[in-house]
Amino acid sequence: MAKESDVSLFNDVLEPFRRVINTEPPKDRLSMSAKFNFTESNNTSPKSDLSNLVNLGKRKPSFGGDVETPGKRLRTDSTSSVPPSPWEAKRLKIDLIGAKAQIAKLEARINHQHAIRKEMQILFEEEKASLVEQHKRDERMVSDMEDRLQLIRKREQDLREEFSESMKEFKDTKFKWEKEKMELQKQNSELKDQLLQANVSCKDQISEMQKDMNELLAALEDAQEESELLRGEVEKLKAKADQCTALKSQLEKQSFELQQVSSKLKEIEYERDSYKDWQIQTKTAQKRLVNMAELEKEVARLRANERTLRDAICNKLLLEEQVHILTGKVEALQPVQQELHEAKVKIASLEANLEEWRSAARGHGVESARALSSALENALSGQLTAVETSTQAESQLAQINEELATVKFERDKATAKLNDLQTVRKNQESLIHRLQKRLLIVTRERDSYRQQLDSYEKELTMTLSGDTGAGSAALLSARVEQLEKSLQGYRDLLASHDQDGQAKALENARAEASKYREEAEAAKREVSKLRAQRDQLHAHLDKLAAPTKVLHLADNPAAAASKQMQVDLESAQEEIKKLKAALREGGSRACPEEIQELKQKLENSRIKLQRMKEEFTASAQEYRDVCYMLLGYKIDRTVHKNYRITNMYAESSDEYLTFTLCDDGIEMVHTDYSASLGDLVEVHLHQHRSIPLFLSALTMELFTRTTMQQEVQEC
Amino acid sequence: MSQQQTKNCITLRGSAQILCEYLKFAVNSVLFQRGLYPPETFKAEQQYGITLLISEDPQIKSFLTNLLTQSEEWIINKKVSKLSLIILNVANKEVLECWDFNVQYEEGDVALSKEKNETVGSKDLKKIKQEIRDVMLQIAATISYLPLLDCRCSFDVLVHAKTDCDIPEKWAEAEPVAITNAQNVQLKSFSTSLNKMETIVSYKLND
Repeated sequence: MAKESDVSLFNDVLEPFRRVINTEPPKDRLSMSAKFNFTESNNTSPKSDLSNLVNLGKRKPSFGGDVETPGKRLRTDSTSSVPPSPWEAKRLKIDLIGAKAQIAKLEARINHQHAIRKEMQILFEEEKASLVEQHKRDERMVSDMEDRLQLIRKREQDLREEFSESMKEFKDTKFKWEKEKMELQKQNSELKDQLLQANVSCKDQISEMQKDMNELLAALEDAQEESELLRGEVEKLKAKADQCTALKSQLEKQSFELQQVSSKLKEIEYERDSYKDWQIQTKTAQKRLVNMAELEKEVARLRANERTLRDAICNKLLLEEQVHILTGKVEALQPVQQELHEAKVKIASLEANLEEWRSAARGHGVESARALSSALENALSGQLTAVETSTQAESQLAQINEELATVKFERDKATAKLNDLQTVRKNQESLIHRLQKRLLIVTRERDSYRQQLDSYEKELTMTLSGDTGAGSAALLSARVEQLEKSLQGYRDLLASHDQDGQAKALENARAEASKYREEAEAAKREVSKLRAQRDQLHAHLDKLAAPTKVLHLADNPAAAASKQMQVDLESAQEEIKKLKAALREGGSRACPEEIQELKQKLENSRIKLQRMKEEFTASAQEYRDVCYMLLGYKIDRTVHKNYRITNMYAESSDEYLTFTLCDDGIEMVHTDYSASLGDLVEVHLHQHRSIPLFLSALTMELFTRTTMQQEVQEC
Repeated sequence: MSQQQTKNCITLRGSAQILCEYLKFAVNSVLFQRGLYPPETFKAEQQYGITLLISEDPQIKSFLTNLLTQSEEWIINKKVSKLSLIILNVANKEVLECWDFNVQYEEGDVALSKEKNETVGSKDLKKIKQEIRDVMLQIAATISYLPLLDCRCSFDVLVHAKTDCDIPEKWAEAEPVAITNAQNVQLKSFSTSLNKMETIVSYKLND
């Protein structure tokens, strides 16, 4: 459109030139072609126009050629066509000039557009570059941030893992320590048990020994009784000895008689000498006999000596054996002691450990293990409660968020309402505006009317100046005035009415807005109330769980458990019945086999004990007999650490010695019999300091005494 | 992008499996925590990033497998609204404790569902497991306030199914349970974006 108007304008401007400038035929053709070309281009739509323009810009180098081609065509055409009239030529020339001018203009314009375009392109490219750069930077930043995020996540993961690992480690170590503790306690208890066992075994041994002792004492008493018997025998023997002495006295009497006979023989004189010789001979023989007795006594003494020596050797062997046994015992007890020491050390270390634990616990303000566990428990429970509270808080937060969302929704509604109200108000305001406009129009109209009126008046005055006169004019002016007044009144009315209306509308709108707001508030409250109610009802509904049916597996653990319970109950009742029946029958039938077995065991153990006792008494007796037979002394234990020794060759039961076992050996106690052995005591005990020697010497002496008596008796 | 999608895609079956796995561990955890069976019959197992205890009793194991395979089917078909683990006194069959596992059905990821032509969710599995772990920790924490079970107790699991649900073999209808003077404690819930599982424990309050 603009192009067309341009062209028309151009034509208008160029109109005067047409008359002046003469035209030439070839140029006409050119101009025709140009015009033709131009009109052609003008026929296209503005859009294509623009593209054409761009095309033109692009085809700039070949523009001249393009322009020429139609010309050439035309030239070829012109050969056949009629030459144009001068007016036409002129006109064509003018057109050509116009077209050229337009072309120039358009070219300038195109160039300008090109320049603008280039500038714009440059600008855009710059902007694009900057934007690309920005984009790259952003991308880089994003990737960096992502990397960083990744790193942080990784770190977080690592830390979590570390935390879990450390927790696990802590648990493991705790568990281990507890295990160790338990083990050590167990060991401790075991050691205690061992100690107790050792004590018990010691006590058992002691009691066994005491029992042995008692049995030995009993055996001793038996032996004493035996010795009584033997003493009786000794008495008999003594009686025999007395008989022997009587025999001796008889012998003396006989010798006396013999002397009497010899004196009788002296009296017989000649037989006297021979008898004297015989007497001397008998005397020497007697002397020799006396010597023989002494020699025999000496032999006996030496034998006794030998016996005492043998006795000493035997004693020594016995002692050595005892020592061996004791060393064995000591060796056996040493590891126990070692163990005891080790246990003590362990206990000490354990106590130190325990103390460490306790101090660690005290460091945390805890006094006892229970308190520690309770503290741990407290901490755990605290954590748990914290977790719970946090979850509650989260749920509350969610609830609050929901509420917030609903409130926001309400607020949005209210704001929408408010917007509506505002639009209403705006509408009303626009209405007011329109009314004001109308008022303005009305006033203008009035003014125009007034002008018209004035003009009419003028006309009237002009027309009526001649004939009618001023009367009608005055009437008219009065009328006009009246009209004006009424108009004024109307205007006032309109103004007042408008103002009131506006104010009212505004007020109304405000009131409505506030009302709506209140309504919105109320609605909100109601919504929250209803929501709470709904939640309650939901919960109620869930509780009621109306349209569901409840299913369960037929063989569930509860059923199995109840069945088992039933079975147990039945079996228990059955057993009760059985037991009751058994009780009614006679009670002790409960477990006869077991009782029998136990009885048998008891009997067996009794028999065993009996046999062992017998064995022991027999062996003790044997031992004592062997001692007596080998060493010649019967040893009786009278009281604690007191021993009474009676020699095999003692003449009476009063002849005994008493020894006491002291800390530093054995000591002889003063008795009546010992007082009678003064020289032996002096020699062997005070000088040689050997009890076995003394005892042997005593044996020897007693033996020689008895044997001598026997010899005497034999004699 | 496609990898991400496949990674976060949870089907109905997968969701039901997650729920049933949770139920298995939750029931075992309750049985252990409440001391219904001797502790030596339980074996420690790592799950959801924590150590949980699983019963080795063959009877319990077979019971739970039967229960959960059927429950999984029902959950996929949206037939179940609630599973209740009840602990009852064997002597007088009084219900002492009830662990309600409410199953709710959710939309999932609508856009992804349209794309895949089946209902799927797109919640991160890690997040679901974390949520389940929180619930497990809460279950373990309940021992601090639940009353002591000082009688011979046993348990049963009731499935609250829709009325149009068929009763399969080995299953029977049961009476709904009610606890007198009950105290309810709502534990945390978790969601697979297809199913939401709420855990509520109600117990008899002794005063």
